[in-house]
Amino acid sequence: MLAFCGFEIFREYYICERGLILELLLLLLAIFIPLAGALICLIFKNEVLRKITVLLSSAGLAGVAIALAYLLSQHGGSFVFYSEDFPAFLPWVLKIADIALLITLLGIGFKLKKPFVIFLTAVQFIGQIYLEFFSGYKEVAGDILFKLDFLSLVMILVVSIVGPLIVIFALGYMPEHEKHQHMKKSRQPRFFFILLLFLSAMNALVTINDLSWMYFLWEITTLCSFLLISHDKSEISIKNATRALWMNSIGGVAFVSANIIFSKLGTLQISELITDKGLISPLFYIAVAFLCFAGFTKAAQFPFQSWLLGAMVAPTPVSALLHSSTMVKAGVYLIVRFAPAITGTVLGDWVSLVGGFTFVAAAAIAISQRDAKRVLAYSTISNLGLIICCAGIGNWLATTAAILLIMFHAISKGLLFLCVGTIEHGIGSRNIEDMQGLFKRMPFTTTVAVIGMISMLLPPFGVLLTKWMAMESAVNQPILLLVIALGSAFTVAFWAKWLGIILTMSYKKHYNTETIKKSVEFSLAALLTGVLLLAIGLVPLFDYLVKPYLLSINSKVGVPVNEILIIMLFVILLMLVFFILRFSSKFKSKNLRAPYMCGENTEDIRGIEFMGPAESKDEVVVHNYYLDGVFGEGRLTVLTSIISASGILIMFGVVVEKWLIS
Amino acid sequence: MAYFLAQGNVFFEMLLVIIFIIVAPILGGLISGFDRVITARMQGRQGPPLLQPFYDFIKLLGKERITLNQTQAVFILGYLFFAISGFVMLVMGLDLLMLVFVLAFSAVSFILGAMSLRSPFSKIGGQREILQLLSYEPVLIIMAFGVYKVTGSFAITEIFVYGKPLIFSLPLVFFAFLYVLTIKLRKSPFDFSTSHHGHQELVKGITTEFSGPQLALIELTHWYEIVLLMGLIAHFCVKPFWVGILLAVGAYFLEIVIDNISARVTWKWMLKATAILGVGVATINIVWLYVAK
Amino acid sequence: MGIMSRSRAKSPWVVHYACTSCNGCDIEVIACLTPVFDLERFGIVNVGNPKHADVLLVSGSANHKSARVIKNLYDQMPEPKVVVAIGVCAATGGVFADCYNVNGGIETIIPVDVFVPGCCPKPEAIIDGIVQAAGILATKKLKKR
Repeated sequence: MLAFCGFEIFREYYICERGLILELLLLLLAIFIPLAGALICLIFKNEVLRKITVLLSSAGLAGVAIALAYLLSQHGGSFVFYSEDFPAFLPWVLKIADIALLITLLGIGFKLKKPFVIFLTAVQFIGQIYLEFFSGYKEVAGDILFKLDFLSLVMILVVSIVGPLIVIFALGYMPEHEKHQHMKKSRQPRFFFILLLFLSAMNALVTINDLSWMYFLWEITTLCSFLLISHDKSEISIKNATRALWMNSIGGVAFVSANIIFSKLGTLQISELITDKGLISPLFYIAVAFLCFAGFTKAAQFPFQSWLLGAMVAPTPVSALLHSSTMVKAGVYLIVRFAPAITGTVLGDWVSLVGGFTFVAAAAIAISQRDAKRVLAYSTISNLGLIICCAGIGNWLATTAAILLIMFHAISKGLLFLCVGTIEHGIGSRNIEDMQGLFKRMPFTTTVAVIGMISMLLPPFGVLLTKWMAMESAVNQPILLLVIALGSAFTVAFWAKWLGIILTMSYKKHYNTETIKKSVEFSLAALLTGVLLLAIGLVPLFDYLVKPYLLSINSKVGVPVNEILIIMLFVILLMLVFFILRFSSKFKSKNLRAPYMCGENTEDIRGIEFMGPAESKDEVVVHNYYLDGVFGEGRLTVLTSIISASGILIMFGVVVEKWLIS
Repeated sequence: MAYFLAQGNVFFEMLLVIIFIIVAPILGGLISGFDRVITARMQGRQGPPLLQPFYDFIKLLGKERITLNQTQAVFILGYLFFAISGFVMLVMGLDLLMLVFVLAFSAVSFILGAMSLRSPFSKIGGQREILQLLSYEPVLIIMAFGVYKVTGSFAITEIFVYGKPLIFSLPLVFFAFLYVLTIKLRKSPFDFSTSHHGHQELVKGITTEFSGPQLALIELTHWYEIVLLMGLIAHFCVKPFWVGILLAVGAYFLEIVIDNISARVTWKWMLKATAILGVGVATINIVWLYVAK
Repeated sequence: MGIMSRSRAKSPWVVHYACTSCNGCDIEVIACLTPVFDLERFGIVNVGNPKHADVLLVSGSANHKSARVIKNLYDQMPEPKVVVAIGVCAATGGVFADCYNVNGGIETIIPVDVFVPGCCPKPEAIIDGIVQAAGILATKKLKKR
């Protein structure tokens, strides 16, 4: 309704002369539909109205994204919307909103009594005031406000399709969650308001071409993250939310610094900064280094990983949406966006080293984790590191790997977080060891979780294929090769351990039908379908979404992977699925035997007990190896954080030195 | 070996692949048989007849089909199918790095099959197999990089086009590969997830709860793996190819000797040893290839 | 002899269990595996796992506590299978036949195919017994599924 009114006003007073009116409308809808939904959820506390609003917003958002995808494929290149076509008061809206936001953050800092937060926000405040009012930077005619190219489209598709599915999951999950927390007054209106607001901010963030607007949206996502992590209002959630806030604020300071430098160089337009060779100077690289640093903090790279791990106390939809599928992708999006500017430079080399090191360090620590959400968190950090590594390498295959990995990881990891959330409600535990025999109690969720984990681990699914592409693109850098090879091996280790536990099952003639809420079931099934479709359609994805982007940045293009190979491997997987079903249906229970326990089995053929000394029955307990002595979190965190921090310092040192001697 | 494909003759290529798929396990079984006979002679006894592995295989096929749950057989099929896929990729000369990943899928399928059973020996055997995978996977990937650095491509067909023996440029990578070959062939000192012949480790470790036809398929897959690994060694010297084959035979004989003279290690020892003598040594080789450019 | 029977005769895998044995017979069984007597030339491999084995070698007499265990091991072996009772204790209870806790030989618990008498039997006798068991194994047919 709001969007329609807005559009009518817009159409009457500001006619877009360049003929892209439908595309502009769709883009604005992509931003305003979730915003409208958010406000409705906040103002009207009725649960049924909330459900309808969420479903309608989701359908609308997904539809808009698909329409934009279709239109952009037909049009090619990108959709460009100039600032002068928008109302003239818009820059003032930005200035006022910015100040309001920073004052809100300051207020939070005071309320929490954290001087560091206050300090960081104050620095950003001063920097922004300087930039907006005193730096003399002015927008010029021909400035682009929104640029929707294929990279933005990929991000919009991720945010608008995976995002709503997660919000729909939350519809079924949150009532259960609040029951477990013994909340007297439901905080769901606030929860859904922030979730939908966040989706709106993300859609705007990935299409905006002006860095000062992007900074504003970036800080909105930081605020959303803070509010959502502290949703349960328990002591530990507030503590972890504060940590997320100050770490992301460090990134915010870096962002403002970058913006100030760019304003001195003459432009805050991303499209110009990436392509205009005349802007390239030592100062330019310092600013880009600051932006990459902001990306590092947002994507929880080492040494900033602890905020993401702490964020796991938040309800599961938060972990799925913000901390694996979308918000952290904003961090890597920024780095991938600026990748053409740093390819082949020393800055690019060090960005890829920092990313690559995080990839292997996070994968190593994940081996020792027992909490399912922590394993997923470390895996997320690891994959984000790989995306950054590919962005730093910058050749066509690496860029392809980065963009494809963004898509594949968002959907698979989102799915896995939702599964873990469902499992947590089902069995009351997040410990991997408690997931043995899960298939008996929750067959649907277990199947979905297993396929999700396999999609993160094995060929022919996308995540592994992009890892393979990353390796093939890193061939000129031996250190990166070693790092990716090691990380790859560690990744297999921790996924295989978890898969082994969750697949543990004894034969049962009849399985329970799981009691599962419809919205949860729908979102899990939809995401699973998405995972499978994306994996099979990897080559078409490349052709329609990635190749046009590569062409737009004047990169070479090739064939990333042999289609026949993917099809062959999927055929084998299909054969195995066929055999599973066949063996299950033809199973005769007279073929069942107990496991070998040196003859000390009890009558229970499942082998969960054995005859101990003095004819007593004892439980069989077998746990995974966690290798704490080698991969323990305590052991490795300090060491890896120091190494990574040194890498970042070296990265800055290199660009600052170049500037100082010029 | 993609000779026919290069000529555009898909039919002959497919025929060649099918012939290789049929011949490989027979060859693998014979190598296995020679292994047992030579081991026995080294130990001063007569040993079984040469065709013993085939008798074992046929006998296992004829056993009663017993199982613990309804899914374990499928994991063994996954182990077999992906190992055959890897072998086909080698025969057709496809991407070496992807071959390593397909083999990893094969190994993971086996691990999951064992870990999905409620048996202490099977689960711990599976855990140890994961540690073995952790040890040899980086070395295989680095080996693929080494081949790329020398020939300019990951495709195995390019090794034939390159012409010169790879072992001259990749001696340390070859050494590291031999070192982890012990792990892949399940020989002492690294046979600690399961062991062969009359040895026992964790009873039968990862294979404890697989019997009859399932165990026969595990044996079959092991034969394919033997031939695949021998083939990979042979590719270190392709012109003349008989030298490569000699290299492979010599390497296998070396493995038998090492098997007979060493005791089993712990996982810590294995990780440390492969980190230094596998990953470390292979990396040194790669680094000098980069520096030499 | 069909190929399946021939293979069964040529590849009898063994699992060895000491019931209430004094371990004298067990030492002789282990001796059979050494290079001097070399069981492996008959294709015999000591797999310690009933699920992999065709031949169950039992020594020692039967009492009710170990009866449970040996029944369990016997049930876990897939068909076709044979049992070889080694030593007089496994055959009849031996010198312990009149003890209050001994129920007699192994055949009171599971069907036995070959008895190898002696206290303890020599390795050559044990090998003879296992080879005869392998012959019996070759004649056993798998029941229709």
